[in-house]
Amino acid sequence: MSEAPFRNPGWAGNTGEFDLAEADVRGVVASDGPPADGGHPSVAPSLPYMLAAKDPAAPLFEGPHLERFEKIKSRYPTARAALLPALNLAQELRGFLSPETMDEVAALLGLSNAYVRGVATFYTMYNKRPVGRFLVQVCTNISCNLRGAEDVLAAFLAHAGTELGETSEDGTFTVVEAECLAACGFPTCVQINSRYFEDVGPADVPGIVDRLQGELQSGAAV
Amino acid sequence: MAYPYRHDREVRVMSEAFGDPAARTLEGWKARGGYQGIARALEIGRAATVDEVKASGLRGRGGAGFPTGVKWSFMPREQNPGRPHYLLCNADESEPGTFKDREIIRWTPHQLVEGCLIGAYAIGAAHCYIYLRGEFFEATGVLAQALEEAYAAGLAGPDVLGSGVQIDLTLHVGAGAYICGEETGLMNSLEGRRGEPRIKPPFPAAAGAFGMPTTINNVETLAAVPGILRHGGEWYRQWGTEKSPGTKLFCVSGHVSRPGNYELPLGFPMMDLIEDVCGGIPGGKALKAVIPGGSSVPIMSADECESCELCYEGVAAAGSMLGCASVIVMDETADIVKQVRRMADFYAHESCGQCTPCREGTAWASRILRRIEEGRGKPDDLDTLLQISDQMTGTTICVLSDSLAAPIVSAIEKFRDEFLALIRRGERVGAA
Ligand SMILES: Cc1cc2nc3c(=O)[nH]c(=O)nc-3n(C[C@H](O)[C@H](O)[C@H](O)COP(=O)(O)O)c2cc1C
Ligand code: SF4
Ligand code: FES
Repeated sequence: MSEAPFRNPGWAGNTGEFDLAEADVRGVVASDGPPADGGHPSVAPSLPYMLAAKDPAAPLFEGPHLERFEKIKSRYPTARAALLPALNLAQELRGFLSPETMDEVAALLGLSNAYVRGVATFYTMYNKRPVGRFLVQVCTNISCNLRGAEDVLAAFLAHAGTELGETSEDGTFTVVEAECLAACGFPTCVQINSRYFEDVGPADVPGIVDRLQGELQSGAAV
Repeated sequence: MAYPYRHDREVRVMSEAFGDPAARTLEGWKARGGYQGIARALEIGRAATVDEVKASGLRGRGGAGFPTGVKWSFMPREQNPGRPHYLLCNADESEPGTFKDREIIRWTPHQLVEGCLIGAYAIGAAHCYIYLRGEFFEATGVLAQALEEAYAAGLAGPDVLGSGVQIDLTLHVGAGAYICGEETGLMNSLEGRRGEPRIKPPFPAAAGAFGMPTTINNVETLAAVPGILRHGGEWYRQWGTEKSPGTKLFCVSGHVSRPGNYELPLGFPMMDLIEDVCGGIPGGKALKAVIPGGSSVPIMSADECESCELCYEGVAAAGSMLGCASVIVMDETADIVKQVRRMADFYAHESCGQCTPCREGTAWASRILRRIEEGRGKPDDLDTLLQISDQMTGTTICVLSDSLAAPIVSAIEKFRDEFLALIRRGERVGAA
């Protein structure tokens, strides 16, 4: 079989049998995103928390965010169960979880600092130190690996101008290796903040990096 | 419509609307017959709903293949005051090679919402938590919109469809840990703890989430339920085999021309899936190996694939497991040693660390495989790997440990020469 004759826009669905717009594939993540107060309580613990805009000094849970925090707590029989959603919200606001942030969350939920740190460090999605405006996670697990994921990783490192696990000097990109992202049929899959970029080959990487730079300049980055 | 490819031989029961954004809305979903299943369940009652699912023979799609109706019937028949029942929907999909649940959620979120409502009703749960993988921002956003619509329409909440039955649904998002897909690891994670699996017993139906009677089901399992309630258990049995009724989403990845999700009747021949449905191996290369059920099942050689039928009993007869039907295809260019090493890295990274054989075994296996891959292997490394794998099997709290042993043992058994060639190369380099 020959190579697909179309340009890869970064999401699966461009196989020639389908022609879907980006918003069709991504849903709300492609639009302005969900409301800060969390919307309906049933979905309040679920909002995206990897936005490009990150403010390490942001106050925790004020205004609409406090509303969201209260809604989250209302959905569980114990305060402890609100811990992951609360940490998710803290990371959305601040971009990473410093030890101080973890302690603040602990106080809000009446848990000990040591306990919260023990939980937070168990999960890979909690950034224990600051990351770039774009966190680029390249899947190198088996299905993507068979289809050249390591070359895609190398291309991202080259074009973002950074080392594995480090942040580029201008603070724009952090590039890391990821475990399977559950998009194995669309290799290579790359998660960039809240979005998946699929069917990515090394040749697609410069275009994606340009697109992200452009979004940053126009203020449209998610 | 399968997505992003489709094929004539598919039987699109669950995946018909994949690729159609209109089906995501309540209106669009109702136009396709949505929410008739929960209406029927409420009409026939709790016990008859369980019986209908039992009659369908539906088996859990999360990997183990346990009959869903039977699992539901383990729940206490009456709710004791102060002991609420919970349904957990396992949407933590992270088994390498598996990518079906994300597609169900992002294309047919209402199918899952309806499945959760029926499941919760059947087990007497007033609350269902949907534990979503943290990375699924896009899918989560789609599901959140569907849930808001369902609440607004009175399909979820204190009075489902005016029946007086209360069923709340809550999205709960994880934070990156494969082990939270294991049922009791998921429960700990939901409760705000590290996602460490629990020793069983007690089993979840006795004491699960928050110490209460709990049932946990995979996304695809629950998504299959609305159709079964709407059309009846017998209807579902028109596809598949006696022991594996129904249709299943096959996630095909690796070296095929048209990878993707294909909904096929269980029992479909593996070679037809690879060669016909998925367009064969690109470049006319030869098939080398297939992992039929996600990274944690034994690897099959090309010979073993020849007459293998893709159902629970068929893949078992061929020496592996159907798992979640994540078919990873490898052509003659695939480097088995490297791929097994990559799997070992994964399991070493994801071991929760509670059990010594798993914590140490996954790390040792990863290091030994890497040294073989890099040409620094020692003659007795294969024996050491087999010995470690043996000690990792059947000795731990959960089966993550066994899940690495299976691919290692099967790879050494079936592709020993490749390991030996690398080891010998290392010896020659060392001698020179
Ligand atoms: C290490 C490990 C990881 C698992 N990951 C998942 C997963 O991501 N999704 C899933 O549905 N089941 C997963 N399972 C299986 C669950 O424990 C459980 O059997 C399943 O969710 C039950 O649902 P079912 O009866 O509908 O299949 C995993 C099991 C193990 C041991
Ligand atoms: S087998 Fe591994 S992952 Fe499972 S409980 Fe033990 S250490 Fe944790
Ligand atoms: S192996 Fe890359 S997304 Fe699954």
